[in-house]
Amino acid sequence: MTTQRATSEPKTYLGHHAFDGARELGRIAALTFLGALRSRRPKGELVRQLYQVGNRSLLFVLVTLGFTGMVLVFQSCLQLSRVTGDLSQVGGEFIKYLIHEFGPSLTAMMLATRVGAGIAAEVGSMVVTEQVDALRMCGVEPVEYLLVPRFLATQVMTLTLAVFGVLSAVLMGAWTAHQTFHVPYSVFLDISKVRSTDVLTGVIKALAYGAAIPIVSGFCGLRTHGGSEGVGWATTRAVVSSSFAVIVLDFLISALALLTWQAH
Amino acid sequence: MTRALLALGTVVLSLCREIGGMALLGCYTLFELIRGRCDGRELVRNLYKMGVVSVPIVSLTALFTGGTMVIQSGIFVQRFQAYGLLGWGTGYAVLREVGPILIGLMFSGRVGANNAADLGSMVVTEQVDGLRALAIEPIPFLIVPRVLAMILAMFCLLVLGDAVAIAGGMVFGKLLLGVDFASFYASFVDAIKLWDLTVGLLKGTFFALMIALTSCHYGLAVKGGAVGVGHAVNDAVVAAALLIMVSDDIWTMVLR
Amino acid sequence: MIALGGIRKLHLDPTKPPVLDGISLKIAQGETCGLCGPGASGKSLLLKIICGLVRPESGTVEVAGADLFDSTADELRKVQSQIGYLFQNNALFDSMTVFENVAFPLRQRARLQHESIEEAALAERVGEALRGVGLATHIEKMPSQLSGGQRKRVALARAVVARPPLLIYDEPTAGLDPVTTAKVYDLLAAERELMQSTTLIVSSDLDALRRFASRMLMIYRGTLCYDGPAAEMADSPNPVVRQFVRGELEGPL
Repeated sequence: MTTQRATSEPKTYLGHHAFDGARELGRIAALTFLGALRSRRPKGELVRQLYQVGNRSLLFVLVTLGFTGMVLVFQSCLQLSRVTGDLSQVGGEFIKYLIHEFGPSLTAMMLATRVGAGIAAEVGSMVVTEQVDALRMCGVEPVEYLLVPRFLATQVMTLTLAVFGVLSAVLMGAWTAHQTFHVPYSVFLDISKVRSTDVLTGVIKALAYGAAIPIVSGFCGLRTHGGSEGVGWATTRAVVSSSFAVIVLDFLISALALLTWQAH
Repeated sequence: MTRALLALGTVVLSLCREIGGMALLGCYTLFELIRGRCDGRELVRNLYKMGVVSVPIVSLTALFTGGTMVIQSGIFVQRFQAYGLLGWGTGYAVLREVGPILIGLMFSGRVGANNAADLGSMVVTEQVDGLRALAIEPIPFLIVPRVLAMILAMFCLLVLGDAVAIAGGMVFGKLLLGVDFASFYASFVDAIKLWDLTVGLLKGTFFALMIALTSCHYGLAVKGGAVGVGHAVNDAVVAAALLIMVSDDIWTMVLR
Repeated sequence: MIALGGIRKLHLDPTKPPVLDGISLKIAQGETCGLCGPGASGKSLLLKIICGLVRPESGTVEVAGADLFDSTADELRKVQSQIGYLFQNNALFDSMTVFENVAFPLRQRARLQHESIEEAALAERVGEALRGVGLATHIEKMPSQLSGGQRKRVALARAVVARPPLLIYDEPTAGLDPVTTAKVYDLLAAERELMQSTTLIVSSDLDALRRFASRMLMIYRGTLCYDGPAAEMADSPNPVVRQFVRGELEGPL
């Protein structure tokens, strides 16, 4: 009897937990979406979160995307100058790629580390100091109260910061092309190659990332248990899971876009 | 005006403090390493905790990265009917830029953040002071094995990740674009030189050093309970991401 | 007021025995119960189950006539808003001022009942609650600016401000000095006189607890090993209870 219990229980326990986790994630996502639609939260909290997510990540996104722009332009100019030597197309293609791929995805990768970790750390320390229980004892649903403002703020700010990130990358890229390969600014800054489907793909990606990051990291934060070590674990898990969510969503949306729009 | 200057000064000062702290930690680590003082058992334990445990997440990241790169090169390939260039485009992007950066970012999230949280809660629960009280020096016992383990683990994970990404590129190239394995492989072998792989590995190893120093620095500097640990992890991953992006630029300019 | 039937809650580690194994008890309206037991025996867990914060694997929980785990989320929230809970770590919202912390249950209760509450009436009731704990002058401070004892008193004010019919205190005096402890017990007694509410209190300070509560409960190894008058606890036939109350080193514990 005892041996059977020892072998069978951990297994059902693990399966039970995986199932529990998936159901909890679904519940959090549903509650967040519903709450965002109803949105009865005081506006002050939303403004505070917009500031937290947006303004405080702006410099970070500008610097990282700027440097990425430099690297990408440098690499493509270097490769092209070895093959054809014609650098007039680089700017147009670069801006197109930036809009439908690198701009939103890299911005989201950066936000997954900054905002995802921030949400998990904040919510996680509220869990271990019993503040989340206190919310529930006051008749407040923690998902709605804590995650909805963060969800809305991340949703708005991922798109906004992606625009800033693209601008920063384009400017730094144009500067690199001008300085190292003598491509004139007027040739580099060519937006004629950008089609409406590129912009649409970029916007869809930014919206998807903006939804995934707060839900995934809020889920990790709410499942925190056990003191300061627990908060650290939850933050780690939030960074990994939300970065991974960005990578998977990037792949899926890119594949869908390729299959629907490029086939024609 | 004075307030703006004051704010600027505070930011610059704290920036100097963080960078100085990391550099100092790096010097101490190097010094102890040269003297050969590194706890062997801790090193093995950390190698397992940082390397082996990260294999699934790194492989999955690499798989999807390879797929995304194929899709992105695929747009060109379809437009110019240049199916022979797919292997080169995917290989070059993965080996030199996207592989080290994305695997570096994932490594920072998985291992760097974890390390900062681990050290941070050791500081909060006064375990580091406990080590000092037992006459065990924290740097050779705690920091050197972690830095060394992170660099070694990242090198191995990058080799694995590159392989998975290229394999993933082949599979998705076949599935989404109909490029068969042979022509992908041929263009990959033709155009990719050993130097490309070396540059990527060098970069990745350097990123690992950056991740190690930021996470150890912010972990040891934790103040104030559970909230402090959360902040430290957050700061560590942000600093690591910044350093990865900026140093990538410098490496690219230097190693052509 | 509270009726528990066969509460069973498993340990997170499945190889260990359950934390709570078949706990049944009834607490009547207006009663004051003290709950004690050795460390990590599941006292706080039992309180959280009574409030519907933690779901047991099996058993029934009835609070104020409503079955907690057989009700909709809205019904559960209604019951929860009738419980005043003083958390072990105070759980003050650290992004809000003292005033907003104490006003929070009132605002949320009004929102649940779809009523609007006037700011003047709100300020009046919050001020009254804070005067009750002697902190009327600290209204605009943040929780991080207060001392441990002051935070405990703000948390107490927040627990009682909505006049809940059921009050639950989890370790109200842990980590406080003897004078502050006496002050907190005075406040608890004053609240009890004022509101005639049912009170359930967990504490490791057994002497103070036995003076305060008329009925004592003790948990040991997941079961209820004492349930009776506080005065007779030291003479219980159960050797575990006797040893625990007398603080002896020798014994089954």
